Amino acid sequence: MPGMSEFWLRVAAALYACGLVHAIATAVRREPVMFRFSLSAFTVGALLHMVSLVELWVKLGHLPTDNFFQSMSVCAFQIAIFFLFVHWRYQFAPLAVFLFPLVFVMTLLAAMETPVPTWSNQSVRGAWLLAHVMLVMAGYAALLVTALASVFYLVEERRLKAKRPATLFSRLPPLGTLDNLINKGMGIGFALLTLATVAGATWAFVESGTRWIADGKIAISLFTWALCLLMIFLRMSAGWRGRKAALLSLTILGSSALTWAAHAGLRLTLAR
Amino acid sequence: MKLSVTGVNHVTAPVEVRERLAFDAARLPDFLRDLHAQPGVQEGMILSTCNRVEIAVAAEDSFDPRQSVAAFLARASAADAGWVGQFLYHHDGQDAIRHLFRVAASLDSMVIGEPQILGQMKAAYEAAKLQGTVNGYLDSVLTRAFSVAKRVRSETEIGQSAVSVSYAAVELAKQIFGSLSGKRAILVGAGKMSELAARHLRRSGVAEILVTNRSPERAARMAEIFQGRAVDYATFVSALKDVDVLIASSGAPHYILTKDDMRRVMSARRNRPMFLIDIAVPRNIEPAVNELDSVFLYDIDDLQRAVEENRKGRREEAATAQHIVDEEVERMILRLRAREMTPLIVALQQQLESMRMAEIERARGKLGALSPQQEEAIEAVTRGIINKLAHGPISELRRAAAGPQGAPLVDSIRRMFRLGD
Repeated sequence: MPGMSEFWLRVAAALYACGLVHAIATAVRREPVMFRFSLSAFTVGALLHMVSLVELWVKLGHLPTDNFFQSMSVCAFQIAIFFLFVHWRYQFAPLAVFLFPLVFVMTLLAAMETPVPTWSNQSVRGAWLLAHVMLVMAGYAALLVTALASVFYLVEERRLKAKRPATLFSRLPPLGTLDNLINKGMGIGFALLTLATVAGATWAFVESGTRWIADGKIAISLFTWALCLLMIFLRMSAGWRGRKAALLSLTILGSSALTWAAHAGLRLTLAR
Repeated sequence: MKLSVTGVNHVTAPVEVRERLAFDAARLPDFLRDLHAQPGVQEGMILSTCNRVEIAVAAEDSFDPRQSVAAFLARASAADAGWVGQFLYHHDGQDAIRHLFRVAASLDSMVIGEPQILGQMKAAYEAAKLQGTVNGYLDSVLTRAFSVAKRVRSETEIGQSAVSVSYAAVELAKQIFGSLSGKRAILVGAGKMSELAARHLRRSGVAEILVTNRSPERAARMAEIFQGRAVDYATFVSALKDVDVLIASSGAPHYILTKDDMRRVMSARRNRPMFLIDIAVPRNIEPAVNELDSVFLYDIDDLQRAVEENRKGRREEAATAQHIVDEEVERMILRLRAREMTPLIVALQQQLESMRMAEIERARGKLGALSPQQEEAIEAVTRGIINKLAHGPISELRRAAAGPQGAPLVDSIRRMFRLGD
């Protein structure tokens, strides 16, 4: 049975999820959506996170960094506090788009220390896995569109800068249209990949306890997701466009392909 | 019936001549009625624009309208007929149809592919229609000319690209931003070309135009024209954060916008693309600004090159358009010839019908009283005979309408069936 510390950690993760919703909605709509509400939820989440850590500290008699899960929890908490401080001091809201999802996923992983009883219903297990796979596929499709649009953007930007006339065959959509497409594709792709990551992690947690967490393949998928998060952040805060954005989106696409390839043999890892 | 077109355009006559010959729009109805009253003229239309004055008439085959139309033109402009005559061109029949199609499709325009001529021609047609000086023959040629113009527009790219510097700037802005609605533009300094570009931008949906000038009064005056806002000249760079298009045409002898300025602006606007148009000579914006990400700087030479490219493109498209016009002219000729056969075919049918009625009347005395069934049978038999008789000549006439043997056949059939003229 998980202790009270882990219970508070799970509640904190649920509250951090409000911040995730904010980040996704903001990425898709290109303007801050329900920031105040998610900031409140995030703050309460951080408080409960602290409660969880203090309980564990008292129980263990030292700072709880004995294993991957405990150190992950401490790290996530530090990031949450860092963000709250920066926001209080500098009002730097765009950082939330980057840090809210990061803290949420880290806390979610940290809350998976104690294995739960495995699937009681096989069809739930199947449906869960199917949802994960479908979300990943849809997410990759959106990232592919983003990467293509980024390359088109780069080509069209070069043409306009070099002042070459558009010929009939090389006529691409206007930069503004491509920019919109990139934003939408990236926002939707990120939302789908995040949901897929959450679905995949919880599925693996129920399926095979905690062993999978150390697998390199899992690390690759989390890395892909983090790259995606980074791109959203760089576009929103620094307005990355053109060459940098094209390179980043192609990197993400490559990393997605690697993740996919790595997952071909994952079933063996997951077997109990 | 035959068509002829007489007139002057930007090639045959200088502007002094064209403005002398141009018809006053207010008096156009009178001139149209006057034209219609000319001997031999059946239908007429007057097209008067700044680049051409043309008179299209449909006249009897036997009549040559050249002299009377030229005289009409000279009279209408109170000029000497001999003087006017040296600038006139004249097209007849098939050539006249081709000319009207080319004019409507904007192939004969000074700026090939410019869209105004079609509207002007439609207005001329409406005016003539209102006065009743266009009907039947000329009507069918003109309405066809309008659809040929439409076909040329949709099947070629003749009107797609901008051929003026100010419009080329707007086209480029559209390639950068897609839609211009909600975008902001700023005019730095005043000038005819920047004013024109601002007008085009405004018409394409730009939300607000800011104006800045060394003279605040001038800036305020310009801002009023575009219902925009005047911005202080000394600090206009700080306003660029929220501006998407900048048109610079100030008389400043040095750069008023440097790469460093723009680097700060771009960082403040988080790299959202910006379009800078520098039409000032000497240039107002440091050329190295174009090296910054998401900044597109075009100077007057760049725009002129774009315009030249577009002009070349239009000339190439004009060749395709000419093929369409040729094809349509041929179709029109066939249609008009087939149309000329119609009165003859009707006359032939009437002649046969009256023969049939006369024969039935003559036979009725010998046959005595007939039952309704017998009446019906006689009606059916006689009608069947004349229909069969008429079928051959009618289909031959329709077929011959297309070819050169049309006229002799018409003649033979008239004689054979005693149809007169």
